[in-house]
Formats: sequence, structure tokens, C-alpha cells
Amino acid sequence: MKSVFIPFVVLTVGLLAFSTYQALFVAPTEQTMGEVQRIFYYHVPSAWTAGVCFFVNFLASVLYLWKRNAASDALAAASAEVGVMFCTVVLITGPIWARPVWGIWWTWDARLTTTLVLWLIYVSYLVLRRFSSGGQTQVLAAALAVFGFVDVPIVYMSIRWFRTQHPSPVMGGGENSGLDPAMLYVFFWNLLSFTCVGIVLMVIRYRLQMLEEKVEAAHVTAALQGGAR
Amino acid sequence: MTGPVALKAAYIVTWVILLGYLGSLLQRFRRIREEMNDLKRKG
Repeated sequence: MKSVFIPFVVLTVGLLAFSTYQALFVAPTEQTMGEVQRIFYYHVPSAWTAGVCFFVNFLASVLYLWKRNAASDALAAASAEVGVMFCTVVLITGPIWARPVWGIWWTWDARLTTTLVLWLIYVSYLVLRRFSSGGQTQVLAAALAVFGFVDVPIVYMSIRWFRTQHPSPVMGGGENSGLDPAMLYVFFWNLLSFTCVGIVLMVIRYRLQMLEEKVEAAHVTAALQGGAR
Repeated sequence: MTGPVALKAAYIVTWVILLGYLGSLLQRFRRIREEMNDLKRKG
């Protein structure tokens, strides 16, 4: 596993550098918004990666509820944390983009509100995992994750279901949607690099979670041995 | 906030969050390895 992971990390760093260069210097400048539109190349891939992480969290949680194995619980914890990190990027870069374009930092429209709710759901998931004590924490967290994931498709569909301040979908949004091919090319490079960053962070966080559980088990064993003496 | 300033701010914020999170993971790794070593020494 290690022999694959290190080259994958190196590849991810290279991809991220390449895609950032493409986004800042190669992609054509959008006519209406100008330079600020380049935030798109970080904002949308971050949202995509958060969605991927929450999907992994959903699958791992379902698997945990079914099999009750430590590995799927560790994967659920890892993917939720990385997903929250990417969702935070979305919630910060969005308003930074909105201010010069819309003239406001924030508005309570469907896309923005459902994204904030999504962030709050997964922050509460992490808080539950961190501060809940007792044997049922993992089960409660998995159940919360399964119900929490319902918000992901709602976020995705919100700009299709409602007329919002947030722009309509650029891809797959009907007749008048679409990107300039040069922009699409850069966008896909960024989508790929952010997905790879998400995978790298999830793997690191998963390993950390497994180690933490190992240490916790060793502490319990040491305490029991100490008590038995 | 003008367009170019917003663009720089968004990219910088993204990198700060990514690198900050990676740094926190590595710090937690170091702490847990120290804890493991302590346990090995005691046990």
C-alpha cells in the first residue's frame, strides 16, 4: 500500500501545481466577471470533493451499521472530516466571489442555505464523535451520517428546483448552459487534482484514526492489567 | 473588494485551509506515535 501511496502523493502535488497554473494563467478570462471568475476553478472542485467525501462517509456508515467493523467506522470518520474541510473552502471562497459580482457577501438562497446546513450536519457529526462517550457513539454517528447525506442531493438539485441568486448549473443545466472548451479543459484538471487531494487526505486521516483506536485499546489493556495487579 | 483582490484572497484562503489541515494531521500523527512509544516503553 505504501509503495502506491507515496507516488500518488507526488502525482497529486504535481497535478495541483499544474492545475493551479492552468487556472490562473492559461484559462481564458471570462467576459462578464473578469479575473474573479477564476475562483470557479477552486470553488466548484472543492464542492465536488466535499460531495465525494460525504458519499464515502455515507457508504462507510451503511457498511458499519451492517458489519460493525472498525475499518468502515474509521473511514467514515476520515471522510467526514476531510469533507467538512472542503465544504469550509466552498463556504469561504463563495462569499469572496459573491462580493465583487453580486455586491453582497451572503444571501439566504436555496444553494447557499442548503450548503451551510450540510456543513452544520457534518460538523455536528464530528462533534458527536468527539464528545459523546459510551459504547453507542459509532452507531449514533453512522445513523446521523446516513440521514445527513440526504442533504447532498438537495444541495446539488437546489439550483435546478429553485430560482436562486446562485447561478444556474454550468454543466448539464439545459440548452443555454455550458463552458468554453478551453475553460472546460482547465476545470477538469482542477476537478481531478482536488479529487486526488481529497483521496490523499482521507487516506492519511484513516491511518491516523486506526492508530488512535490502537492506542486507545492499548491504554484500556494497560489500565485493566494495572487494576488486576 | 475588487476582482483581482478577491481572486488572490480565495486562492490564498484555500491553500491556508488545505495546508493548515495537513499540518494538523501530521501533528496528530507525531503525538500518537509518541504515545505509542511511551506505551511500548511502559509495557
